[in-house]
Amino acid sequence: MRDLDANLPSVASRWLRGAPQWLLRVRWTTPAAIALVLAGPWLLDTYTLNILIRALFVAIVALTVDVLWGFSGTLTFGQSAFFGIGAYGLAIVFTQFGFGPWQVLLALGAAVGVAAAVAGFVGWLSFYPGSTPLYVSVISLVLPIVVVQLLYSGGAFTGSSSGLVGFETFDLSLEGWFLVAGFAMIAVLATTSIMVSSDAGRMLSAMRDNDERCTYLGINTSLIRIWLLVATGVAAALAGFGYVAFSGVAAPENAGFIFGTQLVIMVALGGRGSLAGAVVGAIVIEVASAYLSSSLPFIWELIVGVTFVVVIVVLPGGLFGIFRTFGSWLRGKHPRASGRDAAGIAIETRQEAVAIPDPDAVVVEVENVSKHFGSLSVLSDVSFTARRGELVSIVGPNGAGKTTLIRCLADGRERSEGQVRIGGRSIERLPPDQVVRLGLGRKFQAASVFETLRVADCLRIARSRRDKPSFLDVSSVLRLPPAARAVAESSGLAARLDEEARFLSHGLKQALELAMVLALEPQVLLLDEPTAGLTRVERQAFASVLRELVVRERLCVLIIEHDLDFVRQISSRILLLHQGQVALDGPVADVVNNPLIREIYTGNHQSKRAKDAPP
Amino acid sequence: MVTLVLDVVTTAAILFIVSAGLLIVFGVMKIINFAHAAFITVGAYAALVASRLGLPSVLAPALAFVIGGLIGAAAERVVVQWLYSRPLDAILATWGLSIVIGQLVTLAFGRGVQFVPAPISGTESILGEEYSMYRLLMVAAATVIAILFTCVLNGTRLGLSTRAVIMNETLAQSLGIDSSRVRLVTFGLGCGLAAIAGALITPLASVDPNMGLAWLISAFMLVMISGGSLLTLGLSSLVLGGLQVVVSTFVSPILGGLTIAVVAAVALRLRPEGFARA
Repeated sequence: MRDLDANLPSVASRWLRGAPQWLLRVRWTTPAAIALVLAGPWLLDTYTLNILIRALFVAIVALTVDVLWGFSGTLTFGQSAFFGIGAYGLAIVFTQFGFGPWQVLLALGAAVGVAAAVAGFVGWLSFYPGSTPLYVSVISLVLPIVVVQLLYSGGAFTGSSSGLVGFETFDLSLEGWFLVAGFAMIAVLATTSIMVSSDAGRMLSAMRDNDERCTYLGINTSLIRIWLLVATGVAAALAGFGYVAFSGVAAPENAGFIFGTQLVIMVALGGRGSLAGAVVGAIVIEVASAYLSSSLPFIWELIVGVTFVVVIVVLPGGLFGIFRTFGSWLRGKHPRASGRDAAGIAIETRQEAVAIPDPDAVVVEVENVSKHFGSLSVLSDVSFTARRGELVSIVGPNGAGKTTLIRCLADGRERSEGQVRIGGRSIERLPPDQVVRLGLGRKFQAASVFETLRVADCLRIARSRRDKPSFLDVSSVLRLPPAARAVAESSGLAARLDEEARFLSHGLKQALELAMVLALEPQVLLLDEPTAGLTRVERQAFASVLRELVVRERLCVLIIEHDLDFVRQISSRILLLHQGQVALDGPVADVVNNPLIREIYTGNHQSKRAKDAPP
Repeated sequence: MVTLVLDVVTTAAILFIVSAGLLIVFGVMKIINFAHAAFITVGAYAALVASRLGLPSVLAPALAFVIGGLIGAAAERVVVQWLYSRPLDAILATWGLSIVIGQLVTLAFGRGVQFVPAPISGTESILGEEYSMYRLLMVAAATVIAILFTCVLNGTRLGLSTRAVIMNETLAQSLGIDSSRVRLVTFGLGCGLAAIAGALITPLASVDPNMGLAWLISAFMLVMISGGSLLTLGLSSLVLGGLQVVVSTFVSPILGGLTIAVVAAVALRLRPEGFARA
């Protein structure tokens, strides 16, 4: 007996070592929840069980709201519509065709199919390059209203305002239903929790933190958001399917806008961004409403309303947000993104497989590019080319059009006229994520990283276009190309991989963003005032990094810079922009010694458009 | 035909009255006041109280404006002013506010449906068609509101400060404009306008604690699509309200109720910045 006891831990650990890594990330809460579900039918009375079964199905939809809102940053009032689609999918099929095996399959198919199609369409409507969060919320508001109106106008087919009732459905005991609902909820919770904490799941938080940076890392965020909506829409529809299969009533309220807002309230109170919080919020509110709405009908809603306002204003993290703050306060001062596998991330170098075919190839070709806003012309007829192994500094006074030029190179929709080719291919009217695929990397003026992600995750997201991240696992290896690795190591980022990006200094954030852009393995690197706000030492370190990139990696670097000494030190060529036109383009010595540059910078240059230059 | 045209014009006028308060709040603060519906309800109950007290019906909108404006200003101080940097949270908090106001109204007046008699009844003969006088009065009311608004924005010091805050808040602040006071006044005005709208529409509809909700989505979509300008709000009320009337008359009232939301959603997809500069 004692021997057996002593052996148990090693048996367990051997078994655990054999288990897939994602299974280990399911925490103790899951077995606890399973135990609760198993014990429920013995402990609870019929009325409570009845309410809890409904609450569990509602909790599944609340989870989908949390994934969309808490994780990917899309505030949605529309998940109720998908719940309603699942509910009516079952009710309509069972009313029309009766109950039976093929009818069940048909109802499931209808619920999933219609929900996926509607989610796809709504996603296409909501998510496009440049759509705003407010617009997405607007569409999510319109959706349940449209669905409810369609249900109202459906006559006997949808039961109009009284809904559908009296169809034959699954014959299962109350206890059986409780187990089904409980295990369905736990399965969805566990799956969601594994997926959102996986390497691929970090993408959701990255999009929430900084959608633009994602786009400029070559990630098609619109497409990801559409697929996310389809997945969450289908999950919500299945929850609605289960809800009506149990209750035997499908009502328009199941799809309505009010239910949609109630779901948001549940998630807000439980804690957005916390899956367990969403589930607890949903169950507590559903159960409490059922008990209190009969005894204290208006007071109860008043309490919910007041609590909701207070939580939104004072505690945006909700109930579980308090737990999290308290937990990280207990652990120490620096909260970490995930305490479990904070340490032990190893950087590996991704070996360059392909040699650069032509180390002097022309990779940037700009032909007659113009940009105007109405009658105001910001760039006119700009043309130049740049090769691999060249570092071209773009200089010029404020308002010369430098940043506009960078924007026109990185986003095909920006320029008004002209042609841009990157690596020999035209950027047409492509959005930034596709221009990035042609071999372009853009670093913004203000450090643009993912604030709530760890440094390692920021870099992994940057690699995600080339190394597809896993939907299940959290990798302990970070594979970077040599240039990105060199920046991470020389800046000291390599030692701080498990820290959240928002705790980094300004200089380190800039280094992180540069490493992220280099992780794309670009041929062309665009840098907008990368040294602004850096110390002298950081600036010198940056100069040598740039030289390495140009000489060893044969990158073509275009850099906007104000400090002419720094420009002279690093550049192989200087492009002087003045009032939207190329004033000078040539080797460093030629441009720097040209009297024109002094005239332009001191304001003495008389151009055809400068009317009132000072004497 | 005459009836149809009158329906279009009066519907547009009502939509304009209902949306104007939401527009001014969105224009200045760039947040959506989801409690707008609750303030419409408050205005309707103010009209109910006024008619029970036997006050002259001209005073009903004025009473509604004062009550709605005061509650709105209080709400801005307590809730909204903390949320200007979190616009999506502002939507949620004002939605919570509307739940609170709705429940307080229910506690005070009960859940039942009540009616306010119209101050003027009967019909007017226009080009041989009989048409409801009160609906025609709405066109006049919308015109008065639009003119008053334009005068306040363009003719007063408050209007000047407001326009400065709309254009560039940081700069306005550095020039000594108290932007927090501008916001307080604007939010109060917006809520007061919503309450006027509630008082004005009550004779056309019944009064109940959730009556404002029916108007919220239309008002919201009209404001989004008008992009923050009073003129485009009038135009979009006319165009979308007209479409709504046409669809309701010739296709089905239920689809008519959806027209504004769906058309506006698609239009915003094609032109995200709204139609303020069109």
